[in-house]
Amino acid sequence: MIQTIRVVSIDERQDLKGNELLSLIKNSGISKARSVRIYRLEGIDRKKAKILSEKLLSESINQKYYINKPAFNDQSKKIEIAYKPGVMNPEVASIIKSAKDLGIKLAAADSSWEYAFFGKINYAEIKKFATELSLFNPLIEYIVNKPPRTLLIKGRVGPTTTVEIRDVEDEALMELSKDKLFLNLEEMKVIQRYFRKIKRDPTDCELETLAQTWSEHCAHKTFKANLIVDGVKKTPLMERIKTEALKHNKNIVSAFVDNSGVMKFYHGFAICGKVETHNSPSAIEPYGGAATGSGGVFRDILGTGQGAKTIASTDIFCFANPNLAKKDLPPGCLPPDYLLKRVVKGVKDYGNRMGIPTNNGSVHFHNDFRAKPTVIVGAYGIIPQKIAKKGQPKPGDLVIAVGSRTGRDGIHGATFSSGEMTDRTISVNSSAVQIGNAIEEKRMFDAIIEARDQDLINAINDCGAGGFSSAIGEMGTHTGVKVDLSKAPLKYHGLSPWEIWVSESQERMALAVAKKDVRKLLAICRKYNVEGTILGEFTNTKKLEVFYGKKIVAQLSMEFLHNGLPQRNMIALRRSTPQGKPFVEKKLREPKNEKEWIKIFKKVLSHGNVNSKEPIVRLYDHSVQGTNDLQPYAGVKLDGPNDAVVLRPFLDKKYAVVISHGLNPVLNKIDPYAGSLWAGVEALSNYVAVGGDIENASLINNYIWPFPDEESLWSLDKSVDAVVDLMKGMGIPVISGKDSLSSTYRKGDMVIKIPPVLCISVFGRIPNASKTVTSDFKREGSVICLVGEQDLEMGGSVYYDTFGLIGNKIPKINLGRFGKVAKTIYKGIQGRKILSCHDVSEGGLISSIFDMCVGGDCGVSLKVSNSARLDYFLFNETAGTFVAEVEDERVAKSLFRNIPFQIIGRTQKEKRIEVSSSKKIFSADLNELKKIWKEPMERLFP
Amino acid sequence: MKKPKALILKADGINRDEEMAYAFNIAGAEAELVHINDLRSKKKKLSNFQILGIPGGFAYGDDIVSGKILATELVSYLSDELQKFVSRTDTAVIGVCNGFQVLVRTGLVPFGKVGKMDTTLVANDSGHFECRWVKIKIEKNSKSKFLKGLENQIIWYPVAHGEGKFFARPNVLSKIEKDNLVAFRYVDESGVPIQNYPDNPNGSINAIVGISDITGRVLGLMPHPECFVRAEQHPNWRRGNVNSPQGLPLFKNIVNFVSQ
Repeated sequence: MIQTIRVVSIDERQDLKGNELLSLIKNSGISKARSVRIYRLEGIDRKKAKILSEKLLSESINQKYYINKPAFNDQSKKIEIAYKPGVMNPEVASIIKSAKDLGIKLAAADSSWEYAFFGKINYAEIKKFATELSLFNPLIEYIVNKPPRTLLIKGRVGPTTTVEIRDVEDEALMELSKDKLFLNLEEMKVIQRYFRKIKRDPTDCELETLAQTWSEHCAHKTFKANLIVDGVKKTPLMERIKTEALKHNKNIVSAFVDNSGVMKFYHGFAICGKVETHNSPSAIEPYGGAATGSGGVFRDILGTGQGAKTIASTDIFCFANPNLAKKDLPPGCLPPDYLLKRVVKGVKDYGNRMGIPTNNGSVHFHNDFRAKPTVIVGAYGIIPQKIAKKGQPKPGDLVIAVGSRTGRDGIHGATFSSGEMTDRTISVNSSAVQIGNAIEEKRMFDAIIEARDQDLINAINDCGAGGFSSAIGEMGTHTGVKVDLSKAPLKYHGLSPWEIWVSESQERMALAVAKKDVRKLLAICRKYNVEGTILGEFTNTKKLEVFYGKKIVAQLSMEFLHNGLPQRNMIALRRSTPQGKPFVEKKLREPKNEKEWIKIFKKVLSHGNVNSKEPIVRLYDHSVQGTNDLQPYAGVKLDGPNDAVVLRPFLDKKYAVVISHGLNPVLNKIDPYAGSLWAGVEALSNYVAVGGDIENASLINNYIWPFPDEESLWSLDKSVDAVVDLMKGMGIPVISGKDSLSSTYRKGDMVIKIPPVLCISVFGRIPNASKTVTSDFKREGSVICLVGEQDLEMGGSVYYDTFGLIGNKIPKINLGRFGKVAKTIYKGIQGRKILSCHDVSEGGLISSIFDMCVGGDCGVSLKVSNSARLDYFLFNETAGTFVAEVEDERVAKSLFRNIPFQIIGRTQKEKRIEVSSSKKIFSADLNELKKIWKEPMERLFP
Repeated sequence: MKKPKALILKADGINRDEEMAYAFNIAGAEAELVHINDLRSKKKKLSNFQILGIPGGFAYGDDIVSGKILATELVSYLSDELQKFVSRTDTAVIGVCNGFQVLVRTGLVPFGKVGKMDTTLVANDSGHFECRWVKIKIEKNSKSKFLKGLENQIIWYPVAHGEGKFFARPNVLSKIEKDNLVAFRYVDESGVPIQNYPDNPNGSINAIVGISDITGRVLGLMPHPECFVRAEQHPNWRRGNVNSPQGLPLFKNIVNFVSQ
C-alpha cells in the first residue's frame, strides 16, 4: 500500500509557489492559492510513514504534514501534477536513500505537487489555469485524476527480431527507413547489399546500430558530402574546415578527433572546449532539453583524452520575441516566453548543481525563431597534456559502463506502451524527452576524475546520442568489441536489447579499463555511490559483437559500420529569386531633435538583443570553483556587462583561460558570408576586449541551419567559406564544431525556415589573469576612443529593426586591419594603458558607450565630427570596432598610432550621455536610460 | 609548528570543496577532502582532525529541502563522532552555504543539539537562486571565536543560493539575538542591516547572514568567504578599491584558533 504524505508551510506568506500562482491568475474569484508537496511511499506502514514525515519530509519549525488525508479540508479545489510513470523523477533516489539511512526500507517512492485554490472556482477552470499557466508539460507530466495503486513498474525483456531486407523492393526499404531509421534509399541499398553478401537478414539491433552510426547527427553526411555549388564542384565542407585549421596548428593538441577540441595551456596542461546544440529537445520540453544539453556537453569534456575536468559552461539562445502574439505561434510550438524561462531554468539547475560556473552567454530574439528555438550550450575543461589525446582501448581491456541506469529515455520513436507494466494508465512518450539528474552526473564526474588521476582509464567516451551503440561502437573501431547487454543495469525491466543498446539515458560514460585495474576502478565507483558495470571486452576481431546473455543480437564488421556509409553527392544553388520580400535599403530620416534622438536611443536600448540580461545571469552560479577573475557584471553598481570571461583554472597560478562567443542570425539572412564573418569577428572582439590574445586562441564553430535543400546548402557553403577565410585571415584554427541541420518547420503547406545561425566560440590562453580589463569606465575625465574602422552600412542592425527595416548592405570587415587592431588592444591592456574596453556590437557604438557608463556609474561628453550621418555613426554595428578608455590624448595617440582610431569624447562625473557635433545633439539622463534597458528582462525574470 | 588538519567533507553534489580546501591551505592548515562514505566505513576518522569544513553545493540535489539528505545521513551514522568533535575545545566547524543548511538541519547550530533542529533556511523570498556579491557586516559582540579582530568590519562576500532565508520562531530568534549568536548581517551602504532585495538577497529575518553555536566554535553562513581569498576574485578589484581578499582573514582566524 502507498502512504501519501502532504507537506505545507504553516505561514501562508512562506508559500512562495502558492503566492506566485495567485499573482499569475488574474481577474477571477480566487482568493488564495496554496501549494502542497506530496510524497508517496510504497512498502511501509503508517507508523513508519509518520517517522519519515517528522524526520525527513517536513520540518516542524515552519511546516505541517498530513498522512493519507488532504492538507485542506475546506472547500478548496485541488489539482495534482506529477511526473508521468516511467519519467525519471530525480528526487526519488534521494528519498529512498534517506529513508534507508533512517532504517526504513521503501519499495518505491514518488513526489509531486498539489495546488489548492480557494474561492469561487470550479475544477474545469482550475484545469484551464494549469494549462494556460503552463503549470505542467503534458509530455512528461500529467494531472493526477486517480491516485496510483502502485509505483512499481514491471515488465519482461523484449524480443530481438530479424528484419527481412534482402529480398524486398526499394519501396519496402524506404518504408522501413521512414518509420525509424531515417536513412535514404542509397544508404538502405548499401545495407541491403551488405546483408545479401553475408547471406542473412539483419536483426533490429543491427539496423538500429547502423541507423544511429550513419545518422546525420553522428556521421555529418552533409558536411562530408561532395558538393556541386552553382554547377561547380567544391571540396566537402568538413574537409575545407579541417585543411585550413591544421595549417594553424602551433597550439593544437587535438582537433576533430575527440569529444572536444584541445589546445595547449601552460605548465604541462591543455584546455579543451566543446559547444553543442539541443534545439529539438528544447523545443518540446525546454527544461529537460536544455538541462540535458548542458549535461551532455559537460560529458563531452569529461570524455576528452583520458578525462578532462569541466571548468566552465556557456549558454547561447535564440527565441522569438517574448511578446509574440498568440496567433503568430505555429501549431505545436511552445510560446517564446515560456521557452526562454524554462530553458534558462534547465541550464541553471544543471550547471549550478554540477558546480560548473556558467559565465558566458547571450540571448537573441527574432520572430523567425517562433517555430523552433536555438539552444546552444558549451563547456570547457582542463587536462594534463600528456593524457589529452584521445585514448585507444587495447584488446583485452574491459568495457565498463559508469553512471546512471539505462531506461527508455531518448529512444527515438519508441513508446513506453506495454500495458502490463502497471495498472496505471501509461501514455508516456518518455522516449523523446530526457530529464537530467545533475547529481548523478556530479558523482560520476568525481569518480572518473579520481580514476583518471590513478591512471586507470585507457579510453573514455560519453554516452550521448546513440547511447552505448555510439560510445562503445566508436571506441572499438580499431580493435573490435564484445558486449553483453544483459549485464547493463536498467531503470526498469522490459527493454528489448536494441533499446538498451541505443537508449540515450543521461549521465552515463563508457570506459576502457585494463583487466588488472578493474577492481580499483570499481572501488572508486563504490566510494562515490556510482554504479560501475563490466559490459564486455575489447577484442581483436575488428567486429562489433553484441550479446544478450548467450544470444547474439548484433554482429557487424567495424569496417562496414564505420566506413560503409556512402559519401553523399549534394547540390547547392543560389536562389534565383529572393524568397519572400526582398530586403531593400530605405532612406531613413535622421532624428531631427533631442526628443527624437532620445526616443530612438531608448528603443534601441530596450531591444531584445541589446537590453540587460542581468536577471538571467544572476540565476547562474558564476562564482563556483573560485576561478572567475572577470565576472559577467562589474562596475560601481555591479551592473555593467562584460564581453568575455577570464578564468584561472588553478587557484594558485596566474594563467588564465579567456572564453567568448559571437553570432548574429539576422545578418545571415541577408548575406550568409558577411554575416558569418561578422559572427567570427564579433566573437574575437569580445575575446580581445577583455585582454584575450589572438595569437593563442582557438575557435569552435556551430552551424544551426535549415534542412539542407539546395538553397540552404548554398548559404551553408558560403558560411563555411567565411569561417575558412576567418581562419586564414587571422591565423586561428577551428578545433571543434557541430552542425545541426534541421531548423526547418513544416506543417502542411506552412514552411518556416529558422534564420541560419553560425555561432563562433573562442577560447584561448593568457599568461596573467590580472592583465585584463572590464568594460566599466574607471575614471572621470579620461579619453574615450573609437578604435578600429567602421563601415557605415546599417543592414541587419538593431537601429534598422526599430524602424521595421532589415536592409541589404551589412558592414564589411577587413580582417587584416582587424588583426592589427586586436593586437594593439592586447598590447594596450598588457601595458595597462587601456583602462576599460568594450566591443561594439548589437545596438552600435552608442550602446557600447552606454554599457560602460552603467558600469562606471558616470556620464560621457561625446563630440563627433559632422562628416558622417550621425545616426549611422552612433548606431553602427561594425564588428571589430572597440570603445577604449585611456588616460589622456597622448596615450591614445601613441598606443593607436598604427591603426584607425578617433578620440570621440571624455568621461564625466555627471550621469548624462551628451552628444554634440558643431551643435548640441542630445543629452540623456543615464538612470532614465538604464531603467529602460533593464526593464524588459526584469519583467520576465522578476 | 605542525599545521592543523582540516577535513573538507565530500558527498554527492557537494561542489565547493576544492575552493574551501584551497582557502584552508593558504590560511595555514592542511586540508584533506574526505568522502562521507570513508567516514561511514571508518576508513577516515573525524577525531584525527581539528577542523571540519562542510562546503557548498547541492548535496544529494538538495532534494526534499536543501541539505536535508546529508544532514539526515550525518545524524544517522556520525552523531557520536560529531558530538565528540564539537565538545573538544580545540576544534572548529564551518559550514558554508549548503554546509550551513546542513549544520542547521543537524542541529549543530545554534544550540549544538545533534538531531534537534531549531532554526531553518528556507527558499529566498525572491523565489529564485541568486548569484551576486553582497555587503555584510561582522557583528561586534558575536560569540564566534573566528571573528576576533574583524568586528564591525563591512566586507563583500559572494552569495550563490536559492534557499538562504534564515528563519526561526520568535522565542528562538530572541535567544539567538540575546546570546550574540548572530555572526554577520546583510547591510546597506552605510552599514545598517537591510531587509530589501537585493542587498539582502534572500529576505533573512533580522538580516542574518550567518550564526554560530553557543560555544562559538561552530559557524555557519550563506555567502562564500572561500571564494574571496584572492583580491582578483572580486568583480571590482580593477577599480582599485578592493586591495585585500576579505574572506581569507576568516580562514586564518579559524586556523589560528585551533592552533592555540
